[in-house]
Amino acid sequence: MGASPARLVIALSVAAALAIFVVYTALAGNGVAQLTPSTIGTAKGNVLLVGKVVGPVQHVGGALRFAVKDIGDAKPARVSVSYAGSVPSLFRTGRDISVAGVMRNGRFAATRDSLITKCPDHYAPPASPKT
Amino acid sequence: MASLGRAALLIAFGLVAYALLAGSYAAWKKRRRLALSAQNALIAAFPATLVASAILLIALARHDFTFAYVAEHTSRNLPLPYTLSAFWGGQEGSLLLWLVILTGYAALAVWLNRRHRELMAWTVPVFGLIAVFFGFMLCFVSSPFHQQPAPADGAGMVPSLQNPYMLAHPPMLYLGYVGLAVPFAFAMGALLSGRTDERWIVATRRWTLAAWLFLGVGQLLGSHWAYVEIGWGGYYAWDPVENAAFMPWLVATAFLHSVMIQEKRGMLKVWNMVLVALAFNLSLFGTFLTRSGIINSVHSFSQSPIGAWFMGFLVLMIVFSVVLILWRSSGGGDGSLRTKTKLESLVSREATFLYNNLLLVALALTILWGVLYPVLSEAVRGQTRSVSKPYYDFFLHTFGLPLILLMGLGPLVAWRKASLRSLAKTFLIPFAVAVVTGGVLLGLGFGSSWVGLLAYTFSAFVAASIVLEFVRGRSAAGGIFKLVSRNRRRYGGYVVHAAVVLFVIGVAGSNSYQTIRENGHLRIGQSMEAAGYRFTYESIKGVKGPNYTGFRTVVSVVGNGERFDLTPGQNNDPLQGTSFVASIYHDPRTLGDVFTNASLDKAGTAIDLHIFVKPLINLIWAGGFLFVFGALVAMWPDAVEQRRLAARYAAGTAPAGI
Repeated sequence: MGASPARLVIALSVAAALAIFVVYTALAGNGVAQLTPSTIGTAKGNVLLVGKVVGPVQHVGGALRFAVKDIGDAKPARVSVSYAGSVPSLFRTGRDISVAGVMRNGRFAATRDSLITKCPDHYAPPASPKT
Repeated sequence: MASLGRAALLIAFGLVAYALLAGSYAAWKKRRRLALSAQNALIAAFPATLVASAILLIALARHDFTFAYVAEHTSRNLPLPYTLSAFWGGQEGSLLLWLVILTGYAALAVWLNRRHRELMAWTVPVFGLIAVFFGFMLCFVSSPFHQQPAPADGAGMVPSLQNPYMLAHPPMLYLGYVGLAVPFAFAMGALLSGRTDERWIVATRRWTLAAWLFLGVGQLLGSHWAYVEIGWGGYYAWDPVENAAFMPWLVATAFLHSVMIQEKRGMLKVWNMVLVALAFNLSLFGTFLTRSGIINSVHSFSQSPIGAWFMGFLVLMIVFSVVLILWRSSGGGDGSLRTKTKLESLVSREATFLYNNLLLVALALTILWGVLYPVLSEAVRGQTRSVSKPYYDFFLHTFGLPLILLMGLGPLVAWRKASLRSLAKTFLIPFAVAVVTGGVLLGLGFGSSWVGLLAYTFSAFVAASIVLEFVRGRSAAGGIFKLVSRNRRRYGGYVVHAAVVLFVIGVAGSNSYQTIRENGHLRIGQSMEAAGYRFTYESIKGVKGPNYTGFRTVVSVVGNGERFDLTPGQNNDPLQGTSFVASIYHDPRTLGDVFTNASLDKAGTAIDLHIFVKPLINLIWAGGFLFVFGALVAMWPDAVEQRRLAARYAAGTAPAGI
């Protein structure tokens, strides 16, 4: 296998793709901590809150107020969330959601338009094992 | 009944286990008659699995709640189509669906290629290996035929699953996921037997296309479901289960392109093996992901009763394929994957296809990294972190935009080595069209999003080059129909490229150029503007349903040559809380949609109106139809191609190219 310029350019292209990936993940792709009401505590900075909506959902001005608890867990932790922006029509009490934002004075101030309801079919708990 | 189902599954398991063990021994010792019996066992496993599936369907149709599966996933008042769709609504049933599709595909593929004894010798045991896993799961770990004393009624089905899309979307995806097992089994069979020429590729080309088509259609149905049902104008949210189907589709796309280079120039043998192994393992991973739910945590693997088994099998298949590829690519001899031909120039069809492959695989792998990130970060740092839309969007733009450009370049560059002079001649018109389009769009204010502007300029380039190809070819062939039937594969490919251009225009339009106006505070008679439409709040009335009360507003909309009324509102269910009832208008002039949501302010005297205007979004669905059409053109059986292949493989018979 002689050193053809074509091989070199292909190798360089692979290296470039890798470099883009490494630089991006180093600068911005570090991810956001994904926390549940029982683990969020006084987390600092932008985090992703994952949980189940517990009612009632209130409309205050243009914003929604609701509480969130751990999914599939009897833990007592609750976090109250205030959110503005687009609301998926699947959103309601009992749905599993994820929402981005920051903890401020014990409340979760959500980022605009960051609310996602988890699709109920795919996220149904696996059937309990039987004997 | 249930015991008959269990027996059918046990028989199927026995048959595929025989296909694996006897088939391997026969292939190893070159025992022809034993190999034939293994092949027949694999084919016979299909009717056995079919019997088990029929029993489950009958139990569902009869509301036979002595079947635990039926009781858990349906109820008496569920309409029949949804009752039957519970077949794939649960874990056990969807494993059965996997096995029945797999054995069906395997039976057909093996039977059609039964004359290629050497290639089939090892392909049969590879099919057997995959089927043994699913058969084992169904017989011993997660049986759909568990019995119980019948309860009065079943648990019912989640309401959002009771939707026409859910009748078609999951089986389409499964037909795609499982379909990738066919090229995989043939490829691994070729590696094991040392028949590493292009036969396995020729034999599985249409299988791969079909799997790729099903995966694509399955995803489009899922997207459209999300768009219509979830109701805020989103169709893809980079959710792990969506990515689960997107990743193997991307790799299969790369594979469909790179096999052309191997067929034409005998290059990239190892790479094709890597791609087919990656595509199949990603489809296994995807099945696991959709079944076990989001992988938020390493613990979810162990929580799910099938998780550990699936992980084990996935690791086994990855190791199996990696070892085989390494073995054949390092060794010499007949079965070696080494090739003599080399890439001659960077400006050639081969080179553009290579770049296309590189970008598609890079995109798939960055998405995989994003999907696995929560698990990896938990394992490494002890804290679950996740990446979201900005991460995916960044890589979609960096790797996707050059891909669009290559889609226009690739098919028109000559094989081996293209001269700059011929390139200039070929691309003069598309280049001019692209520059003019870019300039006009910039003038019209599309510069607000450079990603959108680039996407549209590149799309214009691709569209112009496709149109030019058809125009040139038509005058040479004397008619568009003659032209396409002369080379269905090529022109089917162009149609698919045109469909991708429509996707790009729709996605860029609805993402980069959408208009969002929120919390417009309106009293009756007041109005607001968005994207050239004028929205006037006309009236409000209360509504009362069986278990909810609510309101509907009337908002009249005028603009862009259209006049229509929208009726956004809310339902208040004392148990479920408040939900928005969005109102949507499809504007035939902009090919876009106008979405509205409304909420009542505290005093009840005014509404807060939320408006989303998504131009061009309907091109995505139009592109879907074109995608199916193009793929079918490329797949259609071709007598001329068969004769050509028969001549090429004069030593044997042409592989049945279905």
